[in-house]
Parts: sequence; structure tokens; C-alpha cells
Amino acid sequence: MSDATLHKPATPARFRSATEESPAARWALIAVAVGGLALLVGAPLVIVFVEALSRGWAAAVTSLASRDAQSAIRLTLLITAIAVPMNAVFGIAAAWFITKFDFRGKAFLITLIDLPFSISPVVAGLCIVLLFGANSALGGWLVASGYPIVFAVPGIVLATVFVTFPFVARELIPVMIEQGRAEEEAALTLGATGWRTFRTVTLPNIRWALLYGTLLCTARAMGEFGAVAVVSGKIRGQTATMPITIEMFYNEYLSIAAFSMAALLTGFALLTLLLKTALELRHADALSATRRH
Amino acid sequence: MSGTPLIQRTAMPGLGVSAGITFFMLTLVVALPIGALLWQGAEFGAANIWATINRERVWAALWLSFRLSFLAACFNLVFGVILAWVLVRYRFPGRRIIDAAVDLPFALPTAVAGIALTALYAPNGVLGQLTNQIGWQVAYTQWGIWLALVFVGLPFVTRTVQPVIEEIETEVEEASATLGASRLHTLRHVIAPMLMPAALTGFALSLARAVGEYGSVIFIAGNIPLRTEIAPLLIVIQLEEYNYGAAGAIGLAMLAISFSMLLLINLIQIWSRRRIGHV
Amino acid sequence: MHIQIDEIAKDFGTTTALHPVSLSIPSGALVALLGPSGSGKTTLLRILGGLEFPTSGRVMFNGQDATGLSVQERRAGFVFQSYALFRHMTVFENIAYGLRARPRASRPPKAEIDRRVRRLLDLIQLPQIATRYPTQLSGGQRQRVALARALAIEPRMLLLDEPFGALDAKVRKELRQGLRDIHDETDLTSVFVTHDQDEAMELADLVVVMSMGRIEQIGKPQDIRAKPATEFVRDFIRA
Repeated sequence: MSDATLHKPATPARFRSATEESPAARWALIAVAVGGLALLVGAPLVIVFVEALSRGWAAAVTSLASRDAQSAIRLTLLITAIAVPMNAVFGIAAAWFITKFDFRGKAFLITLIDLPFSISPVVAGLCIVLLFGANSALGGWLVASGYPIVFAVPGIVLATVFVTFPFVARELIPVMIEQGRAEEEAALTLGATGWRTFRTVTLPNIRWALLYGTLLCTARAMGEFGAVAVVSGKIRGQTATMPITIEMFYNEYLSIAAFSMAALLTGFALLTLLLKTALELRHADALSATRRH
Repeated sequence: MSGTPLIQRTAMPGLGVSAGITFFMLTLVVALPIGALLWQGAEFGAANIWATINRERVWAALWLSFRLSFLAACFNLVFGVILAWVLVRYRFPGRRIIDAAVDLPFALPTAVAGIALTALYAPNGVLGQLTNQIGWQVAYTQWGIWLALVFVGLPFVTRTVQPVIEEIETEVEEASATLGASRLHTLRHVIAPMLMPAALTGFALSLARAVGEYGSVIFIAGNIPLRTEIAPLLIVIQLEEYNYGAAGAIGLAMLAISFSMLLLINLIQIWSRRRIGHV
Repeated sequence: MHIQIDEIAKDFGTTTALHPVSLSIPSGALVALLGPSGSGKTTLLRILGGLEFPTSGRVMFNGQDATGLSVQERRAGFVFQSYALFRHMTVFENIAYGLRARPRASRPPKAEIDRRVRRLLDLIQLPQIATRYPTQLSGGQRQRVALARALAIEPRMLLLDEPFGALDAKVRKELRQGLRDIHDETDLTSVFVTHDQDEAMELADLVVVMSMGRIEQIGKPQDIRAKPATEFVRDFIRA
């Protein structure tokens, strides 16, 4: 550096911290981020409601009152009400097994639990069809005995459980590893039964994480499309869930009906985000998702 | 390893119940269905599988899915890092809303995203009218598929990179500045290498998600064989024709792609642990 | 280089980190800023290094106003308390960083950078660790690498923030002598921050005792011991 720089006037235009970009760069980056997100995420969100209400509230509400719409809503609620508790129970059991015991092959087990996240929903649906479909030995026997799985509610439940499989477990495992085993061991030495120990010691410690995982699981369960499209057979009034019904309405050019049902699901997605953000803000220390080392 | 017992004896209760539920569900939901696909493949035979996949239409679909997923993940890599940086480092009105909105593609059902994007970019849609004026058709072209894949993969990079940015000690940046480096030099040579492993993990997750994506794509894709037909749609078409062998063959090809992605993600994490000492 | 601190004050929002302080540091001196945490000593060091900008007052280098110089232009060798080594770079790359970051016109040729890094590794008596990563080094080795990295840019002064803070007692004693030796060899004006009065008294030519954002006393170690100027200094150096 030459000495000339030392002769510069004493007062700088603006002091810039060594860890910040120039204000111009900062605002440009904020503009890119906010603008990009508004276009990619904000615009689709808005258009759902715009399209749903393009003929007014009455048309939207009426479309949701149709028989097909009503049966889709009921079916989706039913599927969610079965699949989410199944996953919650599995998640708790798997997290307990993995964090409270030491055994060989633990890492492999965790990989297996995570596996459904990396498989295409369509392939997941295909797997279930191949296992339980009428063409397979098992499926043929089940259909003959009067318990069809594919093209029926049980298949949709299985597909939904498959695609949401890791949600609760992967939220609970880090939290339970962090909390260790000492509290449970203390309760046991005090004479508590295993169930009582779980209910009074473990559950209070993991309840927010459990709620968080269940919330994400619910959102995905209600909205699953690819896997359900394959296993449901899309039978109107019987196996058509809300997302499948959206597709049917859309393909039949029933735009108001399609977007009204989409708006309903979008409203639920927004509610999920709201609850999720609230949990992250208020119980960040009890969640693994927000624990940043 | 070989000396340790299969499972350590402890006083902790619930081994039977928890292990029982875990393995029952894992078997019923994951292992048996995937096993059925593999079984189907074995029955169908390698020659038949190859004959199914080795058709122009199937290659075109697999290549299209992979190529557009890759391009979408590339966009998400750059945009996701910018987004993460802005959210962690800058304070501006509405930051919390933006932060929450990043997760919307995770929360929004894919079919909803699909019809919403189509409504926006169709030739008579709000944005479609604009793009068509400059001769750029988005809906029913590969651009539309790319856009849908960008949408579903959007949160991955941001969510993997954000915690890493939060962890950077500002002293490292200050050290770089005291050594005479410009801000741009610091960002390129100090910050970027620190973010690289997490960003690549997010990239791979976004890519893996996009390759298998179906719901958000089929509405906007146009689904023209050889041009805008994605691989998962081929499976659906085969199934609708009760062509289980062919559906299984394409499914196996996609399963193989999924497994290689999983391997890729694990390799990235092993590499980053070696290099930086943590993920 | 002679450093003149002229009525420097610093506010962070509503809290005052430094009341106006003045201090003259002769060229080639080794100065300790001594005080408890919250005394403003680190803030003063960071203002010298250009990492913070004073609310009021001036910094003069060799009689010329340097207040407005950016961090990059200051050319102060700064050693951070945590060392702030670049974890993804080898020791060699860490030390060469400042030279490689220079604009092409003033960047030394590769062979020259190589030679300088080797010389610095010899200076800190760790010639064999060039290819290692910071996570593979002991605390004492990291501190010396941070020092070598700061020296590589041929700084006009050396600023050290609690340079021995993160080390255990034994290593600390060894490295004190190391710093003294390097200072005597390079003859750089050096300022270090410490809360340890033994360290300040043993190492520094001039000790500046600070408390609550004010300078309590400036003097040679023996003078401060013999004649504490205020109640605070008496208590602090006895503790």
C-alpha cells in the first residue's frame, strides 16, 4: 500500500463493518430473495384463492358442497385420522428402541426408516400395487376373501403411511438422544413401571417434538398425490381423496370446484406453517429441527 | 464389532414392544412392498427389464426427468444459498414471514402446486400472458416442468445451509478482512468453502426429490411422449394398462436412481466430515 | 510505527463502551491493555484494527489521520482470541492467505509466497506442519499459526486479543516468551489485550490499565506496581 492512502481526509463516507456487504449489495440480495420467493411461492399461493373465488364466495362454497367433494373431504379426513396415529405410534416405538438400547446395525435401521423419503411416491404406490394388487398371490387371496387392499381404503392408508414414514421418528430420535437415559433410569430405580416411566418422564420431554413431527406428517398425509393416485384406482365417491378429486375436477374443466378444494388444502397448509412457526419460536429448545448445534 | 453382542442387556423396559412395533411396521410398510418390486423384477427377468427400458420413449422420459431435475437443483442451489444468507444475515421488514414461506413447498400438496402453476403460466394465465409476449412459453413445455421441479425442491438448500451460516464465527470473516481481503474475496474463498458441503447436500436432496416428483409436474407438463413426458408418468400409464411387468421395470430403474442419490448424499456427508470435522 | 489515540469514544446504542480515551504508543513498543471484562480494552483494540469505528475521536499512525482507513487498508496484523483460523485450509494456505488475497498487481509471485511462508513457519518454530489442517493442531500450535498468518502480510503493527486466553497454564508460559522473541525480532509496534496482570507485567514495556471504558493508569510495569494511581488499579494488580 502506498503512503498516499494515509493522506485521505479523516472522515470516511460511511464506516463499513468487516463482516457486511455494501448496502447496495445487501439490498440487491434482499430484492433477489424476496422477489424470487414472491414469484415462485407467493404467486401460486395467491392464484389458488383468486381462481377459487373468481365467481364469488357462493360458487366456491357450493362447489365444495357437491357429493363428490363431500365424500373426498370425508375420505381424506378418515385416511389422515388412521395414517397419522399409526405413524406417531411407530415413530415413538422406533425412537424408543433406537435411543434407549444399544444394538448392532443401528445406523442401518435408521437408513431403512429414512428410505421412503428418497423413493418416488409413484414408485411407492407401484410397490404396494405389486404386493397387494389382484395380480399378486397375496392380493388375489385377499380380494377373494373380501378384504381388497388396492383400489380401497387400506391401500390408500398404506401408501400414505409409506410416504410419511420417517416424519415422527426422525424428529424424535435427535431429541431423545440429547436427553439421554438418566431420567428414565432414575424413575425406574424409584419403582415406576415401564409404562409409567414413559408416560410421566419421557412423554413430557418429547411432547413438543412429537407435536411438531405429527404436524408435518398430517400436512403431507392430507396432500399426498402420487402414491395415492397409483393405489386408489380413483373411484369417484369411494377412493378419491381431496388431491385426487382436485385432479378430476381440473380435468373436467370444473375450475371453480378444483380451485376451491385446492384453497381448502392450501388453507390447511398455511395453518400448518403457522403452527410450525409458532412451535419453532416458543419451543425451539425442545425441537430437533431448530436445534442448531 | 464382532465381539459385541447383538443387543446390549439393560434395565430399560419396553424392548419387546418397541422393537416389535418398529419391525412390524418396517416390514409391512417398507420392506414387503419394496421386496415385491424386486421380486416382480426377478420374475420379469433381466432381459425383459432391459427390453422395457431400452425403448426410445422410456429413455427420453428418464433422461428428461433427470436432466430437468438437475437443472432445477442447480437453480435451487444458487437461489437457496442467497435466500439462506439473506434470512440469517440481514434484518428487514417481513423477514419472519419470508422465513416461514420457504417451507410452503413442503406444506402445500403437490396437486395444488401443479394446478396453481399451470393457472399462472398457461397461455391465458396472469404470468403466461407476459411470457408469451416475449415468445417464451412456459406451460406445457420443458420450462413448465423445470419450474414445477424448482418449486418442490426450493426449501432443501436453504434449510441445510441456514444453520451453517448461523454457526460461522464472525471472527473468521474479520480475520480475512484484516489480512487485506476484499469482501468479495472473503465470500469466495472463506465463506463459500464453508457452505459447500451443506449446499451440496441440499442440492442432492433437491435433485432426489425432483427426479421422483409427479403431482406438481403432470398438470403443467403437457405430457407429450419424447418431449414432455416424465418417468413417473410412464409408470402410471403402464399401470393403467395393467402392464405390471413394464411398470415394475421402470420402477426398478427409478429405484436404482433413488439409491444412487442416497449414496451420493452419504458420500457428500462423509467427505465434509473429513474435511471440516463436522457436517 | 507510532500510534496516537486521540479522544476516542465508542457507544453501542445506549451503552458506552469507551469514554473519550487518549494514548500514545511509541514505535516498536509492546503494550498491554489490562483490565477486567467490560473495561473497553477489546473495543479499543478493535478500533485500532479498523474492525469498529469510533463514535468520536481520531486514530493517528505516524502523525497522519488513519481514522477513516478501512480494515483492509490498515494493514494491522490481528490475532483473534479464538485464532479464527480457516478450517478448510492447510496451515500453509492459512499463512499464505493475505498474500494471495492481494490484487494481482501487488501480489508476490508464487515462489516468493512459498519462501515467505516457509520463513514464517521457521520463525514460529513449526516448520513441519505446513500441510496440516487447523483441527489437527494443538492449542499452542494454532496460536502460533495465527501469529504467523498475521505477520505474513508484513503488518505495520501487531494487535492481539487475549492471545493466551484459550491455552492452559504451562503452554501459556512458553508462548509468552515466544511472543516477546518475535516482537524483538520484528520490532513491530504491538498491542495485546489481557485480563491477566502477571502476563501484562511480565511481557509489556508499557501497561495501560482500563476499567469501565476509561484508562485508569498508563505506565511501565514496575511504576504501576510501585505507585498505583487509583484505588481500582491497587485492587486489580493485587488480586
